[in-house]
Amino acid sequence: MKNTKTYFGLALLAIAGVILVAADHIDAPSSKGTSADIADFYAFEPTTGSDNTVFIVDLQSSVLPDLAYGTFDENVLTEINIDLDGDLVEDKVIQAIPRGGIMYFFGPVAPSQKGLDSQVAIDAPLGSVEISEASAKTTTTASGVKLFAGPRQDAFFFDFFQFNAVIGGNAPLGFKEASEAEDTFEGANTMSIVIEIPNAMLGTTTAKNALGLEVYKTWVTSNKKQ
Amino acid sequence: MKFSNILYACSFVLAVSFFTSCNNDDDNQSTMLPDANADFSGIYSQVDHMGRPGINTVLSADDATKDSQNRTLPADMAVAFQASFEARLEAYHDVYATILGADPAAVNYENNILGLDVATLTGYLAADVLEVAPNLPTTYFNPGTDADMDGRILVPDGDEVALTGRTIQDDVIDVSLILLFGGMEGDRFSGQDTDGDGMADLPRLTSDGVSITANPTTTFPYLGNPE
Repeated sequence: MKNTKTYFGLALLAIAGVILVAADHIDAPSSKGTSADIADFYAFEPTTGSDNTVFIVDLQSSVLPDLAYGTFDENVLTEINIDLDGDLVEDKVIQAIPRGGIMYFFGPVAPSQKGLDSQVAIDAPLGSVEISEASAKTTTTASGVKLFAGPRQDAFFFDFFQFNAVIGGNAPLGFKEASEAEDTFEGANTMSIVIEIPNAMLGTTTAKNALGLEVYKTWVTSNKKQ
Repeated sequence: MKFSNILYACSFVLAVSFFTSCNNDDDNQSTMLPDANADFSGIYSQVDHMGRPGINTVLSADDATKDSQNRTLPADMAVAFQASFEARLEAYHDVYATILGADPAAVNYENNILGLDVATLTGYLAADVLEVAPNLPTTYFNPGTDADMDGRILVPDGDEVALTGRTIQDDVIDVSLILLFGGMEGDRFSGQDTDGDGMADLPRLTSDGVSITANPTTTFPYLGNPE
């Protein structure tokens, strides 16, 4: 019976293990480790009842072998896409692209091209902020938008080492209990772009989530200059 | 002065005033226009995509699919990936069934705590977007407060707020595990001791056991200084 239990455990853990690669920190082969690698994406209201939404895009999380961070690539345009009617086509985009140590933001604006190719919406500047070093430099635009770009703590948390043990067949009982589990990303850093923007600038949404609640449907893309 | 010199002088003055006006307010360089030499022209072609954490790497069966998903538009994703996502999720359950000598057809994904069947769940996940509610509190998933006193706290009672965004503190790993493997009650495989011998018999698959270790802040930009 002990063997059956072990097999049972191993099988289930093989299942869970393969499934458990989290966020986009360990990404698809063609983008992994490049300057266009999106590590993570957050979208939230900063305080209960706020009329603003915060978007955080993390690029290039370097967890292994060391926990250092990189720099922003001037050939990479980061684009936050916002769907307002639930058809999963972007109605507005917010763009960020660095030039000469400054992160420039554009939008929210209907994109000139929808789809896989993008152009910078130079007719719709949103603002700009000096790219920070270790301590945060932020800016607030006249329209109340807060901007930041620079290295930050990577706040993602996951016991990636235990996950490796799981998929390696060395963890028949699955993940560890809280007293023993360890966050592999503890101490990791990333390059973050953070925008806090009044919802009025994003627009009114009629899209709904699976529970019928009104939501913006959003996604972030990284785009490389051709 | 020659007219051209006057022109140069005027241009210089204008240029200087332009730049100094941008620097007058140190906290609000918001209208700083791009340096005249900054070139934003060109076509930028998509390399990477992200909506919800973990979905592409979780449910795409191979590297080719993962790469493809990174260059698929969300409007096309459900058609492109729902069936393969469902097959992948079912395959995971079949592996377990086969190892135990059970009939794979009898061991399947169990409708999760949101009540989603496998087609609905994988269709929802295949359209890889992160939803954020403008007028509701943000929570990736709120396990609920048993408002209807039915003894089930993990299961939504119909009035919870969920899937309304992703805060820095949200445990997206545990939520994803619960929704994929937790079954109706959310704890289908949670290290239970089924034979009462004091040792876990079922593996722990609905939580990885870790909580946030970073130190987010309550003020913009909400993430802490790098370490």
